[in-house]
Amino acid sequence: MNASLRIGLTSLRAHRRRFAGTFLAVFLGVAFLTGTLVMGDTLRASFASMFGEATSGTDAVVRGADAITTPGEAQGVRRPVDLSLLKTIERVPGVAFAAPDIQGAGQLVGSDGRPVGGQGPPTLAGNWITDPRLNPYRLAEGRAPARPGEVVVNRGAAKKGGLRIGDTTTLRTPDPVKDTVVGLATFGDQDGMAQVTFTGMTRADAEKYLTARPGQASSVVVRAGPGVNQQDLVRRLTPVLPKGVEAVTGRQSAQEDTDMISSQFLTLFTTFLLVFSGVALLVATFSIHNTFAIVVAQRTRDNALLRALGAARGQVTAAALAEACLVALTASLTGLAGGIGIAAGLQALFPAIGFPFPEGDLVIKTLSLVLPLAVGIAVCLGSALLPARRAGRTAPLAALRETAVDTSGGSRARALAGIALGALALAATLAGVFVTPSVWLAGLGALLALAAFVVLGPVAATAAVRLLGGPLGRLRGVTGSLARRNALRSPKRTAATASALMIGVAVVSLFTVFGASLKATMDRTVSRSFAGDVAVSSPSFGAGGSGLSPRLAPALQRLPQVDTAVGLGRGVAEVDGSGRALTVTDPVALARTFDLGTVTGSLRGLGDDGIALTRAEADRRHLRTGDTARLTFTDGKSERFTVRAVYGSSELVGDYVITRAAWAPHRTQDADTMIAVTFRRGVNADAGKAAVRTVAARYGNPEVQTRDEYAQSSAGGIDMMLTLVYALLALAVVIALLGIANTLTLALHERTRELGLLRAVGQTRAQLRAMVRWESVLVAAFGTVGGLGLGTFLGWVLVKASDGASDTAFAFALPPVRLAAVALVGLTAGALAGLRPARRAARLDVLRAIAME
Amino acid sequence: MTTTTAPRAAARVAGAVKVYGGGDTAVHALDGVDVAFPAGRFTAIMGPSGSGKSTLMHCAAGLDTLTSGAVWIGETELGALDDRRLTLLRRDRVGFVFQAFNLVPTLTVAENITLPLDLAGRRGDQEWIDTLVDVVGLRDRLHHRPAELSGGQQQRVAVARAFAGRPDVVFADEPTGNLDSRSGAEVLGLLGRAVRQMDRTVVMVTHDPVAAAHADEVLFLADGRLVDRMESPTADRVLDRMKAFEVRT
Repeated sequence: MNASLRIGLTSLRAHRRRFAGTFLAVFLGVAFLTGTLVMGDTLRASFASMFGEATSGTDAVVRGADAITTPGEAQGVRRPVDLSLLKTIERVPGVAFAAPDIQGAGQLVGSDGRPVGGQGPPTLAGNWITDPRLNPYRLAEGRAPARPGEVVVNRGAAKKGGLRIGDTTTLRTPDPVKDTVVGLATFGDQDGMAQVTFTGMTRADAEKYLTARPGQASSVVVRAGPGVNQQDLVRRLTPVLPKGVEAVTGRQSAQEDTDMISSQFLTLFTTFLLVFSGVALLVATFSIHNTFAIVVAQRTRDNALLRALGAARGQVTAAALAEACLVALTASLTGLAGGIGIAAGLQALFPAIGFPFPEGDLVIKTLSLVLPLAVGIAVCLGSALLPARRAGRTAPLAALRETAVDTSGGSRARALAGIALGALALAATLAGVFVTPSVWLAGLGALLALAAFVVLGPVAATAAVRLLGGPLGRLRGVTGSLARRNALRSPKRTAATASALMIGVAVVSLFTVFGASLKATMDRTVSRSFAGDVAVSSPSFGAGGSGLSPRLAPALQRLPQVDTAVGLGRGVAEVDGSGRALTVTDPVALARTFDLGTVTGSLRGLGDDGIALTRAEADRRHLRTGDTARLTFTDGKSERFTVRAVYGSSELVGDYVITRAAWAPHRTQDADTMIAVTFRRGVNADAGKAAVRTVAARYGNPEVQTRDEYAQSSAGGIDMMLTLVYALLALAVVIALLGIANTLTLALHERTRELGLLRAVGQTRAQLRAMVRWESVLVAAFGTVGGLGLGTFLGWVLVKASDGASDTAFAFALPPVRLAAVALVGLTAGALAGLRPARRAARLDVLRAIAME
Repeated sequence: MTTTTAPRAAARVAGAVKVYGGGDTAVHALDGVDVAFPAGRFTAIMGPSGSGKSTLMHCAAGLDTLTSGAVWIGETELGALDDRRLTLLRRDRVGFVFQAFNLVPTLTVAENITLPLDLAGRRGDQEWIDTLVDVVGLRDRLHHRPAELSGGQQQRVAVARAFAGRPDVVFADEPTGNLDSRSGAEVLGLLGRAVRQMDRTVVMVTHDPVAAAHADEVLFLADGRLVDRMESPTADRVLDRMKAFEVRT
């Protein structure tokens, strides 16, 4: 065996414990990364096979050819297919069976009166397709709906809503429809298509409740007769279809659905997780680098001896790298196994928490193994490179030098480089925020700021620890001041240890500040532009929910307490060629319940050929009042509309407003997204709210909220997101703390003799433990304070850059309680990290420690 | 139990046995030692290496525990004390001067001197500490770090620290072992002055006859037993006595 490799191996064996922290850091990072990749692939494959299986009986799908897609939406809205086409399709030779597929939004109300689902995945309703091979859902229990008001519900939704066969419930389409559950269905052999809820009704019911007018379907699904393959079928269907209607193979349609789920949900999900494993690995890099640097410093004597005995520089460096390589390899390989274990564990765990994780083997692609392995090894070797070179540079006579107080690190060059980086960061950031608003430029500035913080760490460490530890000496006497000075011993080491935590805390604070700012923005938006007394809405998140019945607003308007009740519906159209969301409403009433800012023109006379739009959108499109714009609707019709009014604010109301009369000929399933209500003068707020609630109860019982409640619930999704982010960042923080514990253990090892002396002259074990813990807390405090500062700054940058780059006016908010909690967690974690090293140090045998060479 | 005729013992051991290891490889570092260190006296312990002199000192000072036998500091029997009480006893009633690495590198000279007092949270007798600082001659070095001092100066700081809390007894383990002869003589002179002018008690382990000559009495240890004692030693007499060991062994 090569000498360098052998030396690396033996020293690794002798100092296994020192690398425990490094091993754990690499292990956790690699495991997280592998787990994410494997889980992503497995989910993707399961969805694909689930769709493939469920729709395997569908050979062709006839549907509207063009989809109107509005920005920020993955799936466009297609023009419905006229059901008169069904007869034509049935006559095409090779068609065995054709069925309309009528789909819309329909949210079930559970046995407890609460809506089922709606927080994320879609809540769907449709006709129950009688041909079992064309229907992706399979009847598992009970029977198919035969009479009006009978429905089949997918088993997952039924379980969640506590619904059983024979139960009567309400389906919000969004008009409340009384239904009786007659059957339970599975999607393929799963309880549902992931978390999507599905309610199947008779074709007549579906036409009645889910389409704007009977005789239309979302698509027609076709099964081929014997001897006709999917391509053949499409070729035969195409000539008989009118313009604007197309036929695609069943496989293509299934592929599109899978891709849609992949891009909308899975890709987002895995990217999100990958970002966090990236943060964890970045933090790990600092911890690992630090460990190697200390180990090399501690081994100066060994290395000097090797050099004196004739080892070349390169050989000593190679020995150190060999050691790092071995650690990297074992940790990464174990991490791979751990990651696969995580994915398997989640696969087992998800169904237990009610999230149907499609069954099937784990999909482990080569990339999911090679990438984490490469990253793990690269991180480990990269972190060890500089220390290894330093080991090689050990002078042969560097041996018998006592490790004293090393105050290096605050060099002038470092300070200058750091300040230069900081200035550059500030310049880029300010330019990205104020001069040419750009998230990318601001992001570059943020990265530079991070680099500046890391470079300046050792320079700042001395001052910061002195300052932070100042009260410690006074409060905790000699124990405190010893802890403070120990933390000051090697500013470079303290800074490197703290940097890991700093990055973790910075990301946590960044999200905390950004989240609070988003909430403040929503709050401000609501309080600024919502002039109503109560808002009626169906709280939903993502594609879920079915909205509000369009008949609710008129019903509320009839209440004696109500002055104005205006519903906001949603429509889509292509405006001069690009898809846009429209707000369908009564513009006059709208102006009474929302503050629309400065209005040019008049909202009064929009009629059925006029639109109103925001100033920002008008500027972008160079439209002014009196100009015309061409709107193309989902039914394929195209009309010219005159711009009759331009208004200032767009939040809550949207960019385009058209009247119900203008929308009516082109409408799809009718629903309002919210209803704003103002009370008559002198109406007590509680009494008014109660009256509104009574009426709303008859229309599927949507939520009735005061202005404040409405603002708060709009921000509810943000808290959910933040909780998830915190959970994911916990890993990075744990790695940082492992780093602190590891550095501390190594440093204490260096100070064994000093600890023995302290114990000999009367330091009690409790005092020694406290001294180590306080040192740990101080290092953590430095990292936490730095991270809070950096994170808050980055949060501000992100808010300001988003503000400049979008129409929405972002508010910047500092959440003091949350940030204080972050600080407290950082400090507590520091104390925890010090626990084990402190216990070990306190167990030292005094005599042996003093006698240690 | 054997006691000497001295008026009061600052520390004493009785029937001290210390065995390292077990079975065939058992080593009797101390094999039944009875000795008292009288207050107000400077006692040196000598013996060839492996004689058990360091073990005796460590056990007498509460740094190590005996296999059997008893140790007293003043009237306190150490065998009954747990680690915490033992630590507090070392802090409050015993002083130490080790051969090297006596000082905490992060603390200044002044802080090192008052370290045991600070650990106890006591203010200490400022006048006494001032006197000590002047005696060891380090007034102009009080705010320096140990790394900025010479070896001799460091040992003088250690001497000042050992006496700062007016302990019952100061144990010195080869205090001059790492020093040149001039610095060594200074440190030994300080220990002698502390005993004779300030009425302190010192027990010193050494293998250097010249160092031992500074003591009031020298105890000779061999093979874990007390074999001889010498009042008012001189370097030559001690050297002669030590040579006798070498001839015998």
